[in-house]
Amino acid sequence: MEHPALEFHRLQTRRQFFQGAGLKVGGVALASLAGQAAHAAPGVHPSLPGFPHFAPRAKRLLYLHMNGAPSQLDLFDYKPRLKEYFDKDLPDSVRNGQRITGMTSGQARLPVAPSVFKFQPCGQSGMWISELLPHLHPLADEMALIKTIHTDAINHDPACTFVMTGSEVPGKPSLGSWISYGLGSVSNDLPAFVVLTPNFPSTGNAQALFTRMWSSGFLPTKHTGVTLRPVGDPVLFVKNPPGVNSGDRRATLNALNRLNQITIERFGDPETQTRIAQYEMAFRMQSSVPELADLSGESQATLDLYGSDVNRPGSFTQSALLARRLLERGVRVVQILHRGWDQHGGLPKNLAAQCQDTQQACAAVLIDLKQRGLLEDTLVVWGGEFGRTVYSQGTLTAENYGRDHHPRNFCMWMAGAGVRGGITYGETDDFSYNIVKDPVHLNDLNATILHLMGIHHSAFTYKFQGLDQRLTGVQEAKIVRGILI
Amino acid sequence: MFGIVVSTAALLAAASAGPVQFNRDVRPILSDNCFACHGFDAKKRKANLRLDEPEGLFTPNADGVVMIQAGHPERSEIWRRIVATNAEDLMPPPETHKTVTLEQRAVLRRWIEQGAPYQKHWAFTAPVAASLPNISGASPLDAFIRERLAAEGLPPSPEADKETLIRRVTFDLIGLPPTLAEIDGFLADTAPGAYERLVDRLFASPHHGEHMARYWLDLARYADTHGLHLDNERSMWPYRDWVVQAFNQNLPFDEFTRWQLAGDLLPGATREQRIASGFNRCNVTTSEGGSINEEFIFRYAVDRTASAVEVWMAMTAGCAVCHDHKFDPLSQKEFYSLYAFFNSAADPAMDGNKMDTPPILKLSTPEQESMLAELERRITEVNGKIKTSITTLAYTDPAEATPAPAIQTVENLWFEDGFPTGAKPQSSGSPLCLVTRGEGEVLSGQLALKRIAKGLEQDYFSGGAEFIVPAGGKLFAHCYLDPENPPAAIMVQFHTNGWQHRAIWGDDAKIPFGTPGTAEKVSMGALPKTAEWVRLELDPARLGLKPGTKVNGYAFTQAGGTVFWDKLGAVRTVDPAKDPAWSLKTWLQQNQGKRVEGLPSHLQTLVRSKKPEQWTEAESTQFRDYWLEHLYEGSRDLLADLKAERAPLEAEKQSIDAAIPLTFVMQDQAKPRDSFVMLRGAYDKPGEPVTRATPTFLPPLQTSAEATPNRLDLANWLLSREHPLTARVAVNRYWQQFFSNGLVKTSSDFGSQGEPPSHPELLDWLAIHFIESGWDTRALIRMMVTSATYRQSSRVTPELLARDPENRLLARGPRFRFDAEVLRDNALALSGLLDRTLGGKGVKPYQPPNIWEPVGFGGSNTREYKQDSGNALYRRSIYTFLKRTAPPPFMATFDAPNREQTCSRRERSNTPLQALQLMNDVQHFEAARNFAQRMILEGGSTPEDRIVWGWRAVTARKPTAVELKIAYDTLRLHHARYLADTEGAGQAIKYGESKADPKLDPAELAAYTLTANLLFNLDETLTKN
Repeated sequence: MEHPALEFHRLQTRRQFFQGAGLKVGGVALASLAGQAAHAAPGVHPSLPGFPHFAPRAKRLLYLHMNGAPSQLDLFDYKPRLKEYFDKDLPDSVRNGQRITGMTSGQARLPVAPSVFKFQPCGQSGMWISELLPHLHPLADEMALIKTIHTDAINHDPACTFVMTGSEVPGKPSLGSWISYGLGSVSNDLPAFVVLTPNFPSTGNAQALFTRMWSSGFLPTKHTGVTLRPVGDPVLFVKNPPGVNSGDRRATLNALNRLNQITIERFGDPETQTRIAQYEMAFRMQSSVPELADLSGESQATLDLYGSDVNRPGSFTQSALLARRLLERGVRVVQILHRGWDQHGGLPKNLAAQCQDTQQACAAVLIDLKQRGLLEDTLVVWGGEFGRTVYSQGTLTAENYGRDHHPRNFCMWMAGAGVRGGITYGETDDFSYNIVKDPVHLNDLNATILHLMGIHHSAFTYKFQGLDQRLTGVQEAKIVRGILI
Repeated sequence: MFGIVVSTAALLAAASAGPVQFNRDVRPILSDNCFACHGFDAKKRKANLRLDEPEGLFTPNADGVVMIQAGHPERSEIWRRIVATNAEDLMPPPETHKTVTLEQRAVLRRWIEQGAPYQKHWAFTAPVAASLPNISGASPLDAFIRERLAAEGLPPSPEADKETLIRRVTFDLIGLPPTLAEIDGFLADTAPGAYERLVDRLFASPHHGEHMARYWLDLARYADTHGLHLDNERSMWPYRDWVVQAFNQNLPFDEFTRWQLAGDLLPGATREQRIASGFNRCNVTTSEGGSINEEFIFRYAVDRTASAVEVWMAMTAGCAVCHDHKFDPLSQKEFYSLYAFFNSAADPAMDGNKMDTPPILKLSTPEQESMLAELERRITEVNGKIKTSITTLAYTDPAEATPAPAIQTVENLWFEDGFPTGAKPQSSGSPLCLVTRGEGEVLSGQLALKRIAKGLEQDYFSGGAEFIVPAGGKLFAHCYLDPENPPAAIMVQFHTNGWQHRAIWGDDAKIPFGTPGTAEKVSMGALPKTAEWVRLELDPARLGLKPGTKVNGYAFTQAGGTVFWDKLGAVRTVDPAKDPAWSLKTWLQQNQGKRVEGLPSHLQTLVRSKKPEQWTEAESTQFRDYWLEHLYEGSRDLLADLKAERAPLEAEKQSIDAAIPLTFVMQDQAKPRDSFVMLRGAYDKPGEPVTRATPTFLPPLQTSAEATPNRLDLANWLLSREHPLTARVAVNRYWQQFFSNGLVKTSSDFGSQGEPPSHPELLDWLAIHFIESGWDTRALIRMMVTSATYRQSSRVTPELLARDPENRLLARGPRFRFDAEVLRDNALALSGLLDRTLGGKGVKPYQPPNIWEPVGFGGSNTREYKQDSGNALYRRSIYTFLKRTAPPPFMATFDAPNREQTCSRRERSNTPLQALQLMNDVQHFEAARNFAQRMILEGGSTPEDRIVWGWRAVTARKPTAVELKIAYDTLRLHHARYLADTEGAGQAIKYGESKADPKLDPAELAAYTLTANLLFNLDETLTKN
């Protein structure tokens, strides 16, 4: 039997819906009504006035961050000539006195380690992709591969902070928070920016994540990414306490709304009105979040596309499918942060395991978005925080090696909205050690992402500590036009 | 958001007819739109034009063009450029995306027309005592507020009722709700001065310091972890407790400042002063492998400088790390001159991921110290004996001996005449039985183990003794099977992390343990011959035992039969010349350049970074002594007794040591580091050298002697009577604490990009008064909370709201949502669960699963959240353990900073995630249930009485009839439902660790719990009204 409070609520919201009024408070529509009114303007996540600055290519962003720094040399930056250099010292002319980390600076030699993996040209464009990523091979013509991303930081903590916030020093807003702040979201029942942190195969000491990677920094805290969690409540505290059902909660909220309405009369404070609206959104999330996390409505064909791992809670694969569900429900930015990519030693085995854990799902989410017509206005980005060295860290054998941190060039790919598929952008030298053509600083990448989302990155500022702060830093960042349609 | 900013600016600006003030009205416009290219930063300056100084504004250039011609907008170049219609002339240029609004243009025009009077930036000139407005009966504070209100034509609001007042001021001074008894007492006290007496009572509460400290800890960026990379735990909490004490003792703000910036430099620094200096050590640190030391030494010094500058001067020094400040007259060189005060800190670049990154202060008691000294004396004594013994060894390296020593077979016995010392043997079946030769079969020594088994029985131990699996060796055991009563199977098992290594002879189906075909269950073939001792040999690799593995237990197991067991151990052949346990040279060859676990860190570094040929004689001797004592096989028996004597002493020393609290303190290196302007803020691009100095636009630094000035001089400089910022910044932050906005809203930025003060005369009066009172913080706060301004009703009319949405004019009392800690503490206090213990190490209250785990580094000691139990769940929030890279949700969701950097002002957001947490989080729901219990037991006998009691407890006032009815109807609804769902009721009252009173009816308690949950979520409950 339906709880009387719920039944009343349903009738009530329906009546308001048909009256076309809704309970409007402070410019915020209270009731999103029976589920189908999710796109009603102005919504609970409004954009800034004047945003987007121009018609965007991308309405949504899916950012796949491989934390720890995947090896460009073994995945995307094909260097066939390295075979000749196996176990020879990295020429000084290549290293050119660049700083290297304290982990290999004490090593007697810097022996070159060619990749043990085979590469093949893929798609019509002939993009070279490693055998570790077979599911991406057929999608080469959807992807723009940038081989010349570079960053300022050489260690994980500052580099992860940099790739996500445009600054090595903690305290700046994350990319997702900036976009949430500027563009808001069309979803009234879900947060504008959602983060997933799936589990990972690496058994060793996988590099850490930091909540600052999705934090709002100095922007209003409501733009902090909300984590969708595989353990416990999918969104923190979304479940009622034990013994409390949805009807009980509705009854409490009905009373709470009436009492808070009296408080408005008593004090006249508009914050109270906002609070009523937020409690109502919380109530809606109590049904929208479980609905989101429930995969039982997905077709077998879709589940097969992602592979059997899709049923394992907390897997990267399941996270990818959840990402698609979030995006199609209007969430503006979804970010998956997958750990375990820091292969200082035992790279061939461990990198293969990392790819095994993720590559089919990366391909699946592209195909899935495309089949639903969402890829044309969803931007997908894949990458890490820096690259890895051509020389081996630790012992080099024909089958085994490790690679140290390399900030000077690494690979990322983008696909979807506004991105020209099949492009391989930028060139590195024969050792994947230096950029020889078309460098792309991480600030340039972020400027490009903002551009695709209809934002002038240089005009996208927030005043903090007396400065017009922006994601893309003080030096002028360039949009990477070469990868755009 | 944007709309509010505009209307605030308009509100603060002069009424449209009044005189324009340069600092208040004009400078912000110029700063925003012009200074980036025409300001202080010489490198970015365009057209060699400065608009941040009067010369640039009023002096004609070589072409006779003048930026501002007083009285004549049309002859002023600035005006012509701002209103230009062609893109080439227009300022600011279109590509900057900046525009001067019509409103701002009007202000500029009026200012020029009024003669363009210029003012130096207000915050950089010393406060001036204005004459007090003549408003009879008003305190000075109220007089300034009233004068402004009168000018705006606004009346102040009436005083709030007494219920509202006691709740407001109790939360504001101790961060906890008033009790019903306290409310009743206050209502009953109708004598004059009742409110002042209330305030004094609250000041006397030890919880006052806790509440005040909370704000300061945001500024100090205090937390319990290092903050970067591993984000391991650090011991800093004695600093936090010192801050609490400082407020409880009302330590004057000048001392409070001096101790924190330079407590270590005070002559004869006390323990408290040194603890306070930990302010400078609260910054985030790293120990990430591969980090470059110079980079982090640089960063820590920048953080310390920028934090001090923000906390005491409200200036945004961060900009000047890379270039001259664009908006304020702080040059890059001046920044690095301040940085030079902090750049000689003695803490290392790498924090070592440990609790006690030096320099630290151990807060031991005299008893602890004398116990430690005694233990140390005894350990030294044993060490002396060990050293003597080693000398008697007269070690020569077999690798260098001629002829080379012969290859030997070495047996290590793990079982001989019984289980090893330290092990606690256990048996299944009959008790352990060791027999002599007269009693049974014995292979060697005096005793063997005998077991007559009825089924599967065994003798074993796990833990208490340890053996190492040798490289290239074998394990062995001996058995004698009774021919009269042979077993069906026998087994030897080894214990490492668990029982995972088993070897079976005979019918392995009789042994139900382990997965066949794995090291957990290896079939060795048929049973050995009976009636004779048989040696059972085992290849450790087959059992999954790698060389070096520690075996900490084994078992003799049999399926039935009578078996004698004896002499279990490991055997290996040793070539002393090539064995690292016998030859030092070999050991070094094998380990040089590696990070050898277990070595003391200085020896680890030595082995890793330097070849033995390069070692000094002292290093060689030191290492050799260590090796002979700890790693040399040949000394093991010799030293066994002495080591056994030393081990418990060291264990005791360690346990005493571990119990002594410690805290990070500030200290400078003996030799100061040289400081340079770092080009573009890069740690590896030193430019011009700098010495310690303060910015030239501020009063000069008085140094105590001819010596180089230090942090203490810097602190004294901040506290000098002439300094224009320190006192203003401090009083402004206290104002913000009580009134929501500071008189300067941008409490962290008093520069030209910040907002000018809403009441400049009041700000200056408070600052001067604060200094003259001897920096008496409590007196300052007392003045604020006893003011008529503070005591106003917070009710707002739509007209006043439209006129002054942010309450900058203070025509009403403050009303805003409580901070994260107060929300939680309030629920705990109301429920009766709150544990009011002061101080101590951080505690780990309820936290949902998987907050730390998904982000934490595998090797971090803060990877797994181990929730406390009992009272630790209910301590005040200030004592919650703060992990910076994954702060507790109850803090983060309610805008608490993650303490990675200093924070002068928290935002006050209003989000659905907050609603979910307040409704559903176990700590709030459990608190509601305990509060419900109090409603039933203490609130009277009728539901109405109980609701009134509960309502008063959470809001301090009685509900109206309508409110009571709504709450009562809801209670009845819940009660009816729970009567029909006893299972649900049972669950609802079991959430959380505390137990419900068994005498209460579950359905009733559950219904009250939901009603309490409703009361706890009222807007009025969450808000200072």
